[in-house]
Amino acid sequence: MKYFAFLLQRLKAAVHYTVGCLCEEVASDREMPFSKQTIAAISELTFRQCETFAKDLEMFARHAKRSTINTEDVKLLARRSNSLLKYITEKNEELTQFNTEQKTKKKKKLEDDNTKSVAVAAAAGKDDS
Amino acid sequence: MAEHYNRDSEPTTRTLLRRVLDTADTRTPRRRRSARIGAQKALLETPSSRRLSTPTKMNVRRGSHRARSIGRLAHVHTSGNLEEQTPRTLLKNIILTDPESSIMTPKSVVKPVPTPQVVRSSRQESSRGSLELQLPELEPPTTLALGLLAPGRKKQRLRLSVFQQEMDQELPLSQEPRGNASASSLTSSLSLTFATPLQPQSVQRPGLARRPPTRRAVDVGAFLQDLRETSLALASPDTVLEDTQPFSQPLVGHSPSVYHSLPFLSHTEAENAERAVSRRTQSSGSRLQNHNPGKPAQLLAGKAKKIDVLAVSLPNNSSAISGEDRVEPLQNGVGEEAEERMEESLSVSEVMGSTGTQGSVRTEKSKGHGEMTEALEAKEPEGSSEDEDISGRTASPELASSTTEFLQARQPQFLEPAPPPTTTVLSLEPLEPLPTRHPPRARTHGSRPRQDPHKTGLSHYVKLFSFYAKMPMEKKALEMVEKCLDKYFQHLCDDLEVFSAHAGRKTVRPEDLELLMRRQGLVNDQVSLHVLVERHLPLEYRQLLIPCAFSGNSVFPAQ
Repeated sequence: MKYFAFLLQRLKAAVHYTVGCLCEEVASDREMPFSKQTIAAISELTFRQCETFAKDLEMFARHAKRSTINTEDVKLLARRSNSLLKYITEKNEELTQFNTEQKTKKKKKLEDDNTKSVAVAAAAGKDDS
Repeated sequence: MAEHYNRDSEPTTRTLLRRVLDTADTRTPRRRRSARIGAQKALLETPSSRRLSTPTKMNVRRGSHRARSIGRLAHVHTSGNLEEQTPRTLLKNIILTDPESSIMTPKSVVKPVPTPQVVRSSRQESSRGSLELQLPELEPPTTLALGLLAPGRKKQRLRLSVFQQEMDQELPLSQEPRGNASASSLTSSLSLTFATPLQPQSVQRPGLARRPPTRRAVDVGAFLQDLRETSLALASPDTVLEDTQPFSQPLVGHSPSVYHSLPFLSHTEAENAERAVSRRTQSSGSRLQNHNPGKPAQLLAGKAKKIDVLAVSLPNNSSAISGEDRVEPLQNGVGEEAEERMEESLSVSEVMGSTGTQGSVRTEKSKGHGEMTEALEAKEPEGSSEDEDISGRTASPELASSTTEFLQARQPQFLEPAPPPTTTVLSLEPLEPLPTRHPPRARTHGSRPRQDPHKTGLSHYVKLFSFYAKMPMEKKALEMVEKCLDKYFQHLCDDLEVFSAHAGRKTVRPEDLELLMRRQGLVNDQVSLHVLVERHLPLEYRQLLIPCAFSGNSVFPAQ
């Protein structure tokens, strides 16, 4: 229990730090400083929203009778804001592309390795024989 | 003992009967008797504050009862389980137990004069201990109750005594050998039933004391005459059918409508506007009386040869007009074009009118309200505000718009018979737009703007909102509320659609709704959907939603 609370604290602190960094960026962009209370409020808000997101994602996955959270669940979560949805779908496509590319690369590598090994084996065999 | 005291202080039927049977029980040769007698004594010795003057009387009477009652009461077969019985079973026992007549000297009674008659007559009949017990218990309230009560009670007791006297007179003739035992037991039980309900209400709440219904002799002649008049006025099953409709006009509205319909055939089209005006006023209900004298006069002056035609077309007209009347007050925003078109189509159909087929069509239409919403999607209603209905219909399964659908559907019904008789139409102009609209009917629904029908359907919710607000609200505020409700319902339906698609389904199911409510926070780990259903929905819906096991190893609804 205590450890769990400690972990929570650490998490919150991490979120707070990240939010602070982002706010600093925005502040330097717009040349308007952020007060500490604002940053604290934003970090608290994001933390609670993340909790809600997690619960919703789990519910969505269960609703689709799955036990793993999918990109579909994430898209369902983000459907309200159009820009966010667009962004997510784009990212999703990028990721899938990347994955497919990686897969093709891996396959190529494997094939090359196979051929190499076959060649090596053949060579070895030749050498042997 | 404590509970006896509590029961004493609450003069309900149950407690009175309980007391009755407590005393009745003393007659049984059971070992409980002593306990009962002891309890009785306790009862007597712990009177409520109201019965200050009477406990002594009660004591005396009960003593006499007890002395007399030991030799009585053949079967009290259920006396053993009296504790678990309801007043109904107690009464039943009272009726069953054999009352024997006994001679009791009437005690000096506080009641007014008529009541001793009751007391005496009842005592003559059966005078089971229960009865006497009842009557003395009626006494204290009279002494302590307000002066208002007393005259009312006198009246009631008068009636009681009159009834009992009548019973006495009738019964001895028929059942003398039995000594009025069983019949009088009935009457005594009946008088008992008369007696007991009187007391509790008036003692506790004098304002709720029920007055006996004033009964006047039924004038058969007048009744039959009224029957004849109403049968003349209605004379058709269609109006009877329509009386069952939710928004049906009262009978007053119907009969003038019938009268209104009769002159229609006699008039030409030029008077359509006048008729429309008359109909509108009729539907508004304000100037009914002004038009009524005019129309019946015309009716009387009407031609006899048309009466047959009228009689046949009466169903058509009455159904059409009454339907229209219903539509009109409900839909204030209907364009006048639509109305005129409807009227003209009606007049057209009336002219065509004597064909029974049309009448059957109309009756079918008036009957088939349930299929309206489905029929709607094929038809196209007229009028500006109705145009957007179709588009909204498929997208809005909400109840909010169901009322508008209902309303919209009534109008197309009247338009449909208009297109078929296009051959010998007097006025072709209103019908021409109809055939031209037929091709657009086949168009898909989604292309139209959805704004209006939702808002007209949401007016119901807005009215509810303004009611619960308990404060006067600006019109703009109400409009904003309507917009918000509109958005809310749109979001709701979008979510439901998305959720069902997410689960790979095409139909929205309760699971989707549960997910939505979970997101809303209404359903959580502490509160489940079934709990909410039980809390807020009526029993009929609960039966449909929560599966329940029935006999024969069946579960409804099936899962």
